[in-house]
Order: sequence, then C-alpha cells, then structure tokens
Amino acid sequence: MESSYLIGSIVVATLATYATRIIPFLVFRNREPSPLIKYIELTMPVMIMVILVFYALKDVKWESYPYGLAEIIGVGIAIFLHVRFKNALLSIFVATLAYMILIQNVF
Amino acid sequence: MSFFTIVKLTIPVMMGYIPLGMAFGLLLAKLLIPWYYAFFMSVFIFAGSGQFLALTLFASQATILEIGIATFLLNLRHTFYGLSMISAFKDFSWKKHYLIFGLTDETFALLKTSEVDKDERERVYLWITFLNQCYWIIGSVAGAVLGNIVPFNYQGIEFSLTALFVVLSIELYKKNRLHKPFFVALIIGLFGMVFFPPQKMLILSLCLAAFVLIVFKRSMESGK
Repeated sequence: MESSYLIGSIVVATLATYATRIIPFLVFRNREPSPLIKYIELTMPVMIMVILVFYALKDVKWESYPYGLAEIIGVGIAIFLHVRFKNALLSIFVATLAYMILIQNVF
Repeated sequence: MSFFTIVKLTIPVMMGYIPLGMAFGLLLAKLLIPWYYAFFMSVFIFAGSGQFLALTLFASQATILEIGIATFLLNLRHTFYGLSMISAFKDFSWKKHYLIFGLTDETFALLKTSEVDKDERERVYLWITFLNQCYWIIGSVAGAVLGNIVPFNYQGIEFSLTALFVVLSIELYKKNRLHKPFFVALIIGLFGMVFFPPQKMLILSLCLAAFVLIVFKRSMESGK
C-alpha cells in the first residue's frame, strides 16, 4: 500500500472522528444550555450505557450452540456481583475471568 | 484524588484496550502495513471501531473520500457523548480539546460515572483520557510488532468492556433520580440488537433513544 494513500486516509479519518466529537461543543459554545439540553444531559448517559451493553453483544450467535450462554452468564455474574458488593473492579474482573474460562474450556 | 486511584479507575479499560488494540495491530500487520502506522492511527484517530473500519477499507482499496464519510458516520454516536458533557467541560481551560478529542465510548463511560470534586475534575479527566489512550497505543503497537507471538491465551478478555458497560449502567441507574430512561433503553437496546444491522446498530439505537427522550419528555420526567 502506498504511503501517500495511508497518510491521506489517516488524516481524513482523524478529522472525521474529531468532527463527530466536537460538533456539540461548537453548536452550544456561546449559549447557556437550554432546559432541553439539561434534560438530555441528565437522561441520555444511562441510555447510552445500556445500549452499549447490547452493542457489545451484537455479534453473539444466539440461534446456534452455545446460544450466547457464556455472554449471559458473564453479564449475570457482573450484575450480581455489582449489586451485591458494589465494587466495580471485582465485578468486571470476575465476570471476565468466568467468561474466558467458559469460552476457552467449556463451550 | 491520588494518581493511584485514577489508575485504578482505568484498569477495566486497560483490560479491554490492550487486547483489542493488539487485535487491531495484528490485523494491520496482516495487511502488510508497517507497524508505525498502528502507532500513528492510535495517536491521531483514537477510535476503536473506527480504526478497524479503516483497515477493512484499506483492504478493499476504498477511496480516501469513502474512508472519511464511513468514519464520520460510524463515529457519529460520539456526538451524543459530547452533548452529555457540555456542562462538565464548560469551565475547563484549552486542555479540554484533548478531552473532546479523546471522548471514546469507554472514556465517556468513565468520565460520566467518576465522582470527582469540582476543583480536581479537569486534572482527573485529563489523566483518565490520557491513560486510556496510552493503553490503546501500547496494545496496537504491541499487536503490530509482536504479531502472533503472545505468551498466554487471552481469548475472551475483551469481555471486560462488556462487563464495564454493565457495571456503569447499574451505577448510572442508581445515581439518576429518573428511572424510566433506563428501562426504555433496555427495550431499545434489545430491539436494536435483534432488528438493526450490526454495523449500524449503535447509531440507530442512539437516534431512537434520543427521539423517544424528546417526544416523551413529559412522561419520562413524571413518576420515579
């Protein structure tokens, strides 16, 4: 691959990515946030986070063996540990370890 | 907040970014692209799925214009993250441009859930963003340089990002006095996962969520 192609692509991808991140800051630069923006700031993050969970699971093959069981168990462990002990690192670490053991050795 | 506490906050992201970065670097090496492009891409683009997409497009010899449009559309979701951060970054110095630049899914998640005193916020946010980017750069360069020689079987470690999102969903649910958005997002997320095409699932679900939030504002704010 030619280096001019690669460098050009990287520059364009950099600008495109940065644009998506800076747009809201440019649009609302000189205004006090409206009640609507305050409402979105309050409610959108939790929705984004929940949707990211499903996004992270989007490539799971639910219709064939093992029917996403490793993912369901992993998510279940994370929820249980986090509700019970409220320690983010513990919940994430144990859930990930369980998931790795499941997909490497069980399924 | 001590530096050690900040590092501890970012450990889940480290567990996800290093292996994912390595997967990216491996793929880049398979396309016979020199390793230092992995470094430059992770320094300047710094978008996980965006960089994977770029590799796919390199492989199919897409034009530079196509790469720009596809990257923009894929990363459009970040606009929603910025929207939720306007007040938070408002009084920061020029350094906030680095925060805006580095607002990935995972960085957004950590910033939004970390509890930091107001006068410390800028410093802590900058460290979180910078550490996250370091993990990503280290992973991608290691993957590109080392190729397939990895000493242990780390298959499945990227699940730490899924678990991170689960944990942070619970945190935000507990923090927020309005509980309806959480349950509506569960429905939208499930719907999106089943019915939307995987590559467009995130942006479509987020647009749907924003739409529902605005149209049903009154009902969202009522009740618990």
